[in-house]
Amino acid sequence: MPHRWFEREPLWFKRAVFYEIHIRGFFDGNADGAGDFRGLIEKLDYLQWLGVDCVWLLPMYPSPLRDGGYDISDFLSIHQDYGTVADFTEFVEQAHQRGIRVIADLVMNHTSSEHPWFQESRANRNGPKADWYVWSDTDEPYRDARVIFVDSEPSNWSFDAVRGQYYWHRFFHHQPDLNYENPEVQEAMLDVLRFWLDLGIDGFRLDAVPYLYEEDGSNCENLPRTHEYLKRVRAEVDAHYPDRVLLAEANQWPEDVVAYLGDAESGDECHMAFHFPLMPRMFVAVRREDAAPLYEILERTPAIPENAQWGLFLRNHDELTLEMVTDEERDYMYDEYAKDPRMRINLGIRRRLAPLLDNGRDEIELMHAILFSLPGSPVLYYGDEIGMGDNVYLGDRDGVRTPMQWTSDRNGGFSHADWAQLYLQPLMDPVYGYQAVNVEAQLRTPTSLLRWIARFIALRKEHPVFGLGSYEPLRSDNSRIFAHIRRWEEDVILCVHNVARSAQAVQLDLSAHAGMVPEEMFGRTRFPAVGELPYLLTLAPRGFFWFQLRRADP
Amino acid sequence: MSFDERVLIEHVMRQRWYGAKSRGVAHAQLLDSVVVSNAEPQLALALVEMRYDTGAHDLYQLLYALRGDELDIDDDVGLARELVRALRAGATLPGVEGTVEFHSVAGFAGLDRDPAEVRWIGAEQSNTSVVLDEDSILKVFRRLEPGVNPELEVLGFLTEHGFANSPALGGWYAYTGGLFVATLGILQTFVRDGLDGWELALDEIAAAPDRFLSRLHRLGEVTGEMHNVLASDASDPAFAVETPSVETLGLLTATVDEEVERAFLELSDDDEALAPIAGRGEDVREQLRLLSHGGPAGKVIRTHGDYHLGQTMWAGDDWVILDFEGEPLRTFAERRRKRSPLRDVAGMLRSFAYAASAASFLPGAESAEEWEARARGQFLDGYFGTVDPSLLPTGSAAAERLLSVFELEKAVYELRYELDNRPDWVRIPVAGILRLMEQPAAAP
Repeated sequence: MPHRWFEREPLWFKRAVFYEIHIRGFFDGNADGAGDFRGLIEKLDYLQWLGVDCVWLLPMYPSPLRDGGYDISDFLSIHQDYGTVADFTEFVEQAHQRGIRVIADLVMNHTSSEHPWFQESRANRNGPKADWYVWSDTDEPYRDARVIFVDSEPSNWSFDAVRGQYYWHRFFHHQPDLNYENPEVQEAMLDVLRFWLDLGIDGFRLDAVPYLYEEDGSNCENLPRTHEYLKRVRAEVDAHYPDRVLLAEANQWPEDVVAYLGDAESGDECHMAFHFPLMPRMFVAVRREDAAPLYEILERTPAIPENAQWGLFLRNHDELTLEMVTDEERDYMYDEYAKDPRMRINLGIRRRLAPLLDNGRDEIELMHAILFSLPGSPVLYYGDEIGMGDNVYLGDRDGVRTPMQWTSDRNGGFSHADWAQLYLQPLMDPVYGYQAVNVEAQLRTPTSLLRWIARFIALRKEHPVFGLGSYEPLRSDNSRIFAHIRRWEEDVILCVHNVARSAQAVQLDLSAHAGMVPEEMFGRTRFPAVGELPYLLTLAPRGFFWFQLRRADP
Repeated sequence: MSFDERVLIEHVMRQRWYGAKSRGVAHAQLLDSVVVSNAEPQLALALVEMRYDTGAHDLYQLLYALRGDELDIDDDVGLARELVRALRAGATLPGVEGTVEFHSVAGFAGLDRDPAEVRWIGAEQSNTSVVLDEDSILKVFRRLEPGVNPELEVLGFLTEHGFANSPALGGWYAYTGGLFVATLGILQTFVRDGLDGWELALDEIAAAPDRFLSRLHRLGEVTGEMHNVLASDASDPAFAVETPSVETLGLLTATVDEEVERAFLELSDDDEALAPIAGRGEDVREQLRLLSHGGPAGKVIRTHGDYHLGQTMWAGDDWVILDFEGEPLRTFAERRRKRSPLRDVAGMLRSFAYAASAASFLPGAESAEEWEARARGQFLDGYFGTVDPSLLPTGSAAAERLLSVFELEKAVYELRYELDNRPDWVRIPVAGILRLMEQPAAAP
């Protein structure tokens, strides 16, 4: 029986730092050219040192890999490249022993067209699985649903010659949508969840949840019955699997996303949801040197249930999505961050954090500071902690999924396989290549980005206020300053960020905190006490201060 | 049974084993309680959560006796007897939210009878202990962490694998509830008439320094043997020897480097004891970088984890090693981490520096520095002659460099600890850091 290494803590995810891992790209434990669970186990000490509380694994299931594994052909097994179910449970146990929890991607909306369910469904119109997918004689229904992968899919319907009917797919044509009208499908997906929960997994990142149900006359997103089903999933988890988390991927406006967290009082749907619109605005703010987009999107962010949390991120395995911005903002983002059309995909930019910020160390630190200061749990993307680059010449989103760069040795220390065997070659360019950017070198260099991020994670984790506290915006006359107060119980934190390329001065109205002494949190330097007059701060270009407001010593 | 929150907070905060004396407590909450005996007085144990005003919290185990309406939250002899009785019976006692299970190890000598004589002895940092008939001792963990206490794991492993120089595990009791699982107490052999290694050092350095040096040679051998046994079972995943991943040395160095930086950041400019190292933080970090340019780091194994003279006893004719809990301020996840056995060795060497400094030497005899150098030589000679060399980095130069990294880690920790707690002792880690800086670090 696996040991229990955690205290019961239903809200652990509110204080956690998440770390997203592409198993294929992290570490190759068996020298076959692709990352796997044995390799992940070897790197747990690194993740523990970094301060990660929860690992989020990209899809780990058998798949023809036509969509990075989001095209699942068997929900109850592990992709052979990654190992076995036993390897997975060993990984979970080893992670738990180090105080690290594990959640995994799960796609509820659709399967791969190679899934036996679909093969059975297309082969027999009268068979037991005939109704497990959404079939139609015409491609007429649900006209108002937008096409998401606009670059590759002309329609949400594709014709299947075997069955002689159209089938519905919100994503690629090789990813048929499951038919949630069918109670057997609802039950089957609950069985999938139970299977992994019984093995000790700490939760799921639920991919593409807004699209479970379809209805004519609607855009087929966020339908009430979709929410009903998710509530059923939550009830099942709450009843039998305490301390697990459901993290919704709903790329929607905050006012719509909030619905995925359930009832405002009881929070009876997903525990967490990603805050998608925040992220592009962080990039807009630093490029325009204007804090307004940040204040505005946070103002527009509705309150969430007490037991729920936002997932915040700078980058992830997908394109930097620009669905949740206005056309004008999108044009601006494309102009500023994706001048080369190769950098664009669908409605987004397929680049990693460091290249997006021109590898500017101050900018990378500032973005992390803003991210870590906001109400929510930060989700880091593997490789961004060392400032890895991307390869825009690779297809689809592979450019941001290249192997983790561990050392300056062969294959970047990622694999002992032959170079030609690797699933993707590691970056080798002079700026971002593994000779220049790798974990080993950055561990040795006290001023490296990696060491800075580890220190920053440790600092954030010393103060539950960042995960649990209130957010109070602090506007000033200087539009280049993003300042706010976080408060939880007795801990009061003042965060001030300069999004400009130039040094700035700002006068903040801190009269509500008169008598308190700001103590800078990195160096523990005490600043002059707050009085009744506006508090003057000067900040370096792209600089920031975090202060703990302490009572003056008697 | 209900507690007044204030009474509970005040009681816990008075205890030596209460670890968070400088933090403001916002709330105390009784999480569960288990009645051990229902006679008069009622004897019970309680699990309490102390919540601090920054939002963090800790778990504690309280023992109490209820005489009529009067609550006595103190170590009670009757309660200790009841706990031993429950161990003998292999009892399972219900609480409100969970259960406490008692286990005994078959054949353990101290459990064949009710103890006649029971006495509580001094509290440690995170536990209190009760001695039974002078032949076994029940250690009651007061500050709790979820999971299996490393002392239970390691003592059980050493007992099972026939290590002769540690107490035998006799039994344990543990809580299993919806909120957490935790080891609450461990019964083990009591080392009768044992002389505490630290006390013995202070006595013999003054009276018979050469005799003590030969004992240290033996301590080196016992330490090597302990590591050999800890590395002896590949079939137990918690103890199997592992080859560290490539970045292990890098992670260690980065961790120590951060600690050096933080320690030097806090140093005051006008403390005379600090003068020899004042302003030399960058030199220390440079030395650390040179030391860490080693080859393969050897193997990693489960270790003692908090190894120093105070964790040893001279029991008439040989050493006994005690206290496998690991460093009480670290989390179980950190304490259970497999590490190079040289980390234990470094802990013991630092302990010699303290002993040399605290002892009084005979007039005209050798200096403290000379004695420390000989003590190190004796101990290391015994150790390297015994330990399985495959556990260590290849070649003595590489082993010594890794040992120096661990010594530096320890000395920097001591520096911060002494500055906070015992300013008079600061010169000891200062001298240690200085010595490590002056030794040649580059690979030959």
